Amino acid sequence: MKTAVLICPGRGTYTKTELGSLAKFPDQGLLARFDAERARLGQETLTALDGAQSYSVSRHSRGDNASALIYACTLGDALSLNGVEVVAVTGNSMGWYSALACAGALSPMDGFTVVNTMGTLMQEALIGGQLVYPFMGEDWADAPARREELLALVDEIGDRPGHDLALSIDLGGMLVIAGNEAGLKAFEAAVPPVQGRFPLRLGNHAAFHTALQAPVAAKGRAALPISLFTQPAKPLIDGRGNVWWPGAATTAALRDYTLGHQVVEPYDFSAAIRSAAREFAPDYFIVPGPGTTLGGAVAQSLIRANWRGLSSKADFQRLQAENPFLISMALPDQRTLVTGDTP
Amino acid sequence: MDRCEIVHDNFLRRVAARDFPMGKAPAGPLSPELAVQAFRAACLTRVLDRQSRAMQRAGQGFYTIGSSGHEGLAAVALALRPTDMAFLHYRDAAFQIARAGQVPGENPAWDMLLSFASSTDDPISGGRHKVLGSRRLMIPPQTSTIASHLPKAVGAAYSVGAARRTRPEHAILPEDAMVMCSFGDASANHSTAQGAFNTAQWTSYQSVPLPLLFVCEDNGIGISTKTPKGWVEATFSARPGLKYFKADGLDMYDAYRVASEAADYVRTRKKPAFLHLRTIRLYGHAGADMPTTYLPREEVEAEEAQDPLLHSVRLMDQAGVMSAEQALAIYRDTGARVARVAGDAVKRPRLKTAAEVMASIVPPARVCKPTNGPTPEAREKAFGGDLKAMDEPQIMSRIINWALTDLMLAHREIVMMGEDVGRKGGVYGVTQKLTARFGPDRMIDTLLDEQSILGLAIGMAQNGFVPMPEIQFLAYLHNAEDQLRGEAATLPFFSNGQFTNPMVLRIAGLGYQKGFGGHFHNDNSVAVLRDIPGVILAVPSNGADAARMLRECVRLAREEQRVVVFLEPIALYPMRDVHGEKDGLWMTRYPDPSERIGLGEVGVSGDGADLAIVTFGNGVYLSNQALPQIEAAGIKARIVDTRWLSPLPKEALTAAVQGCKNILIVDETRHSGGVAEALMAHFHEAAPGVPLARLTAEDSFIATGPAYAVTMPSSAQIVAAAKGLMA
Repeated sequence: MKTAVLICPGRGTYTKTELGSLAKFPDQGLLARFDAERARLGQETLTALDGAQSYSVSRHSRGDNASALIYACTLGDALSLNGVEVVAVTGNSMGWYSALACAGALSPMDGFTVVNTMGTLMQEALIGGQLVYPFMGEDWADAPARREELLALVDEIGDRPGHDLALSIDLGGMLVIAGNEAGLKAFEAAVPPVQGRFPLRLGNHAAFHTALQAPVAAKGRAALPISLFTQPAKPLIDGRGNVWWPGAATTAALRDYTLGHQVVEPYDFSAAIRSAAREFAPDYFIVPGPGTTLGGAVAQSLIRANWRGLSSKADFQRLQAENPFLISMALPDQRTLVTGDTP
Repeated sequence: MDRCEIVHDNFLRRVAARDFPMGKAPAGPLSPELAVQAFRAACLTRVLDRQSRAMQRAGQGFYTIGSSGHEGLAAVALALRPTDMAFLHYRDAAFQIARAGQVPGENPAWDMLLSFASSTDDPISGGRHKVLGSRRLMIPPQTSTIASHLPKAVGAAYSVGAARRTRPEHAILPEDAMVMCSFGDASANHSTAQGAFNTAQWTSYQSVPLPLLFVCEDNGIGISTKTPKGWVEATFSARPGLKYFKADGLDMYDAYRVASEAADYVRTRKKPAFLHLRTIRLYGHAGADMPTTYLPREEVEAEEAQDPLLHSVRLMDQAGVMSAEQALAIYRDTGARVARVAGDAVKRPRLKTAAEVMASIVPPARVCKPTNGPTPEAREKAFGGDLKAMDEPQIMSRIINWALTDLMLAHREIVMMGEDVGRKGGVYGVTQKLTARFGPDRMIDTLLDEQSILGLAIGMAQNGFVPMPEIQFLAYLHNAEDQLRGEAATLPFFSNGQFTNPMVLRIAGLGYQKGFGGHFHNDNSVAVLRDIPGVILAVPSNGADAARMLRECVRLAREEQRVVVFLEPIALYPMRDVHGEKDGLWMTRYPDPSERIGLGEVGVSGDGADLAIVTFGNGVYLSNQALPQIEAAGIKARIVDTRWLSPLPKEALTAAVQGCKNILIVDETRHSGGVAEALMAHFHEAAPGVPLARLTAEDSFIATGPAYAVTMPSSAQIVAAAKGLMA
């Protein structure tokens, strides 16, 4: 059986092309429970959001809606896997909450509670914002010096009076930078536009994974008791590249990380992928859930780790063409490799 | 059948059948989660050992000394903190793996497999050697030299207390750290180990803080020689200053409980302890060692029946932590995972060229905070009346003393240690007044053991100090030389520059003390100091040079993290005159503290081109004595002071003799293996055709009494050799 690491996507992956994704959710009863819970909380149901006639940025990308939608799509895909052995689970940013559920550290319903609660708290607070800027060129060759240069710039701006700016996510060949408006503007002014779209502001995103989220983390801890958490059934790789092994993690530590460090410190997605590759050497890196945007960051992270000698986009494309190893479940022809579905 | 496969098959079969070895019920503070951590680390250790053999068979791996049977070290690791420096026995993969679980983001399987594969990606040695070690896990790499890591563990533990008083800029251990050091039962008998135990006890006996946990992994046998039954306990259970703890390393609950108690004792009492941990050795000593060739098969099988992994499964089952089936699944999953990871690891690049191998012999430079040096007031306070004396020419010992004073004033991380360096101020008074000036914390009178002196220096250097240990006489170095050769010099090499132990080792040596002391106080051999890769050997010939060179040596240690030996010619310490009484020509003024002589810079006096006398140390003095007679013979000469004997400053030497018609090498070390051999070879290559001769010491030891100098070059011989060369 092929082995796989599951990589749960973060915010920003549910876009207009994802409308209707939940139609393929494999456990409609579970989906109905999600909807019932949202209805109880006075929130729009996932079925309604997903079944909307048209995509609305203001409606669908809000934290309290997007988080739960992405979670449900991700979990649904994870439940649809067939014929692969998941040897570890990781995620990007809010994908960590999905990862907890996919690895069994939260039940599907408790995972929903965590993601919906944190998404709602983030949306209510909406402290600061995020932008994304690449340090790799379009060839995806690693550029550690450029990365250091940009991080030094972030530090320098963050030290200015009235400016908050910090690394939010180390995302393959890109840096997600978070801060307050002054900080983000200063960064945008300081760097040249590249690739026709960067620096790119992420709408409806807050300054996730920075100290600015400390109030959200505190509310999260108040709302989400330790009893929600259990031992993971699969190894879980967090946003430091740390592996939480089944049976070896205390649920208290898992909760502390999830509602502490993970919320207020940078999320190192590249480290997570590096650990996944090096410590688990899977046949597949599977990205479940909506969208296909995380695949690039996975490939770039593998390039940074020089996994199997990869050092550029061309290397990646060649290897992927020879023997697809990065599977995006949003792409029907790739999905079929891991679900047995016909495209 | 390979014993490794037998043990593997036994494990699968016996766990499936719930056929466990008998043992105590689980007891103590090991939580279910920690038990699983320890078991997972043990499984990974076991599986890696098996994988290393498969890799070797496939020509993809190069090291198979395993940790199987010593998996109890995982529980010891969990009882410590990942910031506690650990000097590990080579069977302690389980310790490192368990510790990796305490630090986020570690990839222990990948890292260990890279090490087996000798890949340049191996994060500790860069593919130079299969060593346990990790900078992030505070595990300096150890090679297999038996017990040679114990003296520096004592030094590192001492540094914890010293750093509480004055924290060096480059300290790496937290204030509440302790140090752990492990070894086998056979190694515990080694004189180096015994010296370290004794030093730890001697220190602790005086209530000097020494938070050090010795862990003796007693598997009962050293390759083929058994440890007498009960020996370890009998010899270690009642030593003064060393508290004894005993645990069963086959029982992770017991090992964790006792290791926690021992660690608590060491950390809170800041005293050394000895943890005697029962282990077993599975599969023999190393890959090629077949235990059944020297032990009865029944005995080997009885040992294998006590497999600690089987005990762990039994204990976790009894404690309700996990079922035998679950444990077996972890073992199997780990095996499959490691096989997959190995498939990638063996494809990683390996070292190819000499330059790649040698890249970490010299450690990387480090940034030190700039210092303006001491204030005039601080100097005045320290030097007192000596300041006035600086206006007059002085003997070398005094000038070295002043140079040391200025260096210690400028750099608080400098610490000296040695026999009689403090209260007495050194046998020749070179370190006089330094205790009064800097206190006993920085001027450590050690016990009489050179391995411990160097171990103290190495250990303190690893925690940011810049030690200046002193070996009282060159001949005394030899019993401790491995600390320099096998430990200090190799640390950057085996850690790819990640761990360093910069120091300036001062040694009083060489011959020509007038009738005093004989061989052991006049040793004239430096061969053992010249062939150690990366070690710098400096020999000054006069006071001013000594001060300037010493400053460079300290700079090399502090900023470039080098291991430097500064060999001080004893006979020149008090030397005043060259040609006649009270000519005072060998005394110099104390050079301004800003002056240095750079590494590789040679000294040239005179510009004669008929003859270059290339020499060092006492040879420079004797050549100066000979010079008037040489010149009287119509020979225009120059004297070249090599100053740096290793690495030999080849380019500077070639430049210094440029245009000279003849070269005479004057070498006070022995004819065989002496410095002249290297100088002759160099000039033969670099100045082909230039007549070349050498005057060396005989292949002899040094006599006491009137014949003290007859086996070494004299000024008369230099004159004769010069004339002979020109004839």
